[in-house]
Amino acid sequence: MTNELRGARVLVTGATGFIGGRLVERLVREQGAAVRALVRNFANAPRIARFAIEMMAGDLLSPDVLDRAVDGCDVVFHCAYGAMGTDAERRVVNVQGTERVLAAALAHRCRRVVHVSTMSVYGDPASGDIDETAPRRYTGSAYGDSKIDGENLALGYCDQGLSVAVVQPTIVYGPWALTWTIKPLQQLQTGRVILVNDGSGTCNPVYIDDVVSAMIEAARSPEAHKQAFLISGDQPVTWREFFERYQRMLPGSATVSMTPDEAAAHFATFEPKGFLSESARVLKREVRKREALIRERLVPTRSGRLALEVAEQLSLLPRAGEAAAHVDEPPIHPLAPSKVPMFAAQARFRSEKAARLLGYRPAFDLDRGMAMTEQWARWANAI
Amino acid sequence: MEKLTCAVIGGGAVAERVHLPALARCAGIEATMIVDASEARARQMADRFAIGRIATDYHDAIGRVDAAIIGLPHQLHAPVAADLLKAGIPVLVEKPMALTPEQCDVMIDAAAQSGAVLAVGLLRRCSPSLRWVKSALDAGVLGRLLSFDLAEGAIYRWPVASPSMFRREGGGVLSDAGAHVLDLVLWWFGDHRSLVYRDDAMGGVEADCLLELEMASGVSGRVELSRTRDMRNSCIITGERGTIEVGTKTDSVVTVTWKDGIALGGRGASGDRPSPTTLIDLFEPQLRQFIHAIRFGEAPIVSGAEARRSIALLSACYRARQPWVHPWDAGIAPEMPTVLEVAQ
Repeated sequence: MTNELRGARVLVTGATGFIGGRLVERLVREQGAAVRALVRNFANAPRIARFAIEMMAGDLLSPDVLDRAVDGCDVVFHCAYGAMGTDAERRVVNVQGTERVLAAALAHRCRRVVHVSTMSVYGDPASGDIDETAPRRYTGSAYGDSKIDGENLALGYCDQGLSVAVVQPTIVYGPWALTWTIKPLQQLQTGRVILVNDGSGTCNPVYIDDVVSAMIEAARSPEAHKQAFLISGDQPVTWREFFERYQRMLPGSATVSMTPDEAAAHFATFEPKGFLSESARVLKREVRKREALIRERLVPTRSGRLALEVAEQLSLLPRAGEAAAHVDEPPIHPLAPSKVPMFAAQARFRSEKAARLLGYRPAFDLDRGMAMTEQWARWANAI
Repeated sequence: MEKLTCAVIGGGAVAERVHLPALARCAGIEATMIVDASEARARQMADRFAIGRIATDYHDAIGRVDAAIIGLPHQLHAPVAADLLKAGIPVLVEKPMALTPEQCDVMIDAAAQSGAVLAVGLLRRCSPSLRWVKSALDAGVLGRLLSFDLAEGAIYRWPVASPSMFRREGGGVLSDAGAHVLDLVLWWFGDHRSLVYRDDAMGGVEADCLLELEMASGVSGRVELSRTRDMRNSCIITGERGTIEVGTKTDSVVTVTWKDGIALGGRGASGDRPSPTTLIDLFEPQLRQFIHAIRFGEAPIVSGAEARRSIALLSACYRARQPWVHPWDAGIAPEMPTVLEVAQ
């Protein structure tokens, strides 16, 4: 027998976020669930406030909040994660926060907890077909490592009598996707994006609605108990193909190919070097942006000419004859070395287990998902 | 002349960021009382702004102050203002004045009965650029007006401490930003003749909405508001001779472009006063005019009757509401219902 969501009381943590927000919408509109959302910051709540849901103030770490939030709920979707703060703060949310959700769900005898994890728990494998039998690997990333611990906790609670299913989405894109839609579009509009090894690495994109469909089935299906499910899209593509979809939305936008070593060397030039040099870098950038205006204003006066000379001496401005040399190509966005292995990898993440046990079938191939994303991006003034 | 004593009713974000700092700047008035349902919050604000008296019930203000500024959850504006006005206390109430035109009438009647001043905080009426547009349109600078296109919104950042901001009545973007914007539209273009209104609320409150208007003057226009998107935050007004684009927010820039392509841009200015750059700067002239209205019987910048016009339009929008559903909302099931009925 499936866990019917219609009329069920459902708690969503992380409900104002990208995945949680769309989940709330579909739980209300499609499943007819009675949703309670745990909201840390109501400034992020306009999207979910469109629905007749219960919004409860609090975060995962506030005392007693989870006890009240889980009270009376049949199902819990745990989408919240540590998205801000130091590595240690993020880890506390991802591990202790998750444990609090699980403990409350156990105490209140919830029928099912769906814990949202990530492909990152596999630690950027370099190649091959990856399924849920692959080892979880710590890489030193606060996000990936703490998600492994959170996932282990979640599945461990099954031994205490709680029914937990874990979903591990891959590269989730679509309307409101900060990391894989909004940021790439912003970067392509403000500079050039690095494609590692000409973008020949494998990207495993999945459209938001497919992830949410899998989450809903993970809540409903008895087969999902104590299981983890990788949720990827229809087909892997290359990173070049993935970014080209965004480039097509933004004619004239550009990428630049770099080897991992070149990307690392480029990144090193952006590393903060202390307060003074950072300030100088920002000052230089701002002064150069206004170069034409500054020259026009300073040249007519004697003190202005002196100030201009000082600015040139300090390399805040190029010397008069060199002025044209730097007005050229858009800047290249730095790529953090920790991200490079993922962009260089040829690993294909498989969702056969979700297909077998949850009946998961991605409804959006890249064409359809990106077409939808483009319509949204135009409406949202993101392009 | 002695300072007027004033109660600030509602100690939320708008009181902290706008009302209390503006009161501290004005010589003719003094905040002597802060009222908030939460005693702790009232005390916090009283300590911060050196206010002598706190209360948790607005009735305590009656007989103790010369005036009141109301910044409460919107559904409380009408009952609280009407009670104070009936007791003869002049009231400056934040926008939206009330949720319905009927509630506005109760407030207007209460003011008429006691003779107390009723002023409404619609601070954009104090923006020099927006006032310049009003006088330019009245002077016929663009010739016959043809259309306007107003888009305003930003990814929501107002520090909301509780879900009450999103309550079903008056918690959507139309009631919130719309209270300002519809007031501007009616101020500039006169009353409307017909409208088509769509929003994305599905049992809760709208985050985005689109309003198409035909005005009695023959001008047609479009108003798009958002809490989820960064919009251009301007109104483009097209007439026979050219266009005016004006930023609809604080310290806005006006650009006039004639049909031959020649354009001129700048900011409106009023006399030798510095241009307002903050909400406090814009609230201050309303507060000064409120003091003048109390002392000398002058009209406030926005009276209750004037503010009622935008509330009536707002109500008409909600009555005519159609769902605004986008292709990506439908998701995997194009026939996905707007909202399923659930036994709560």
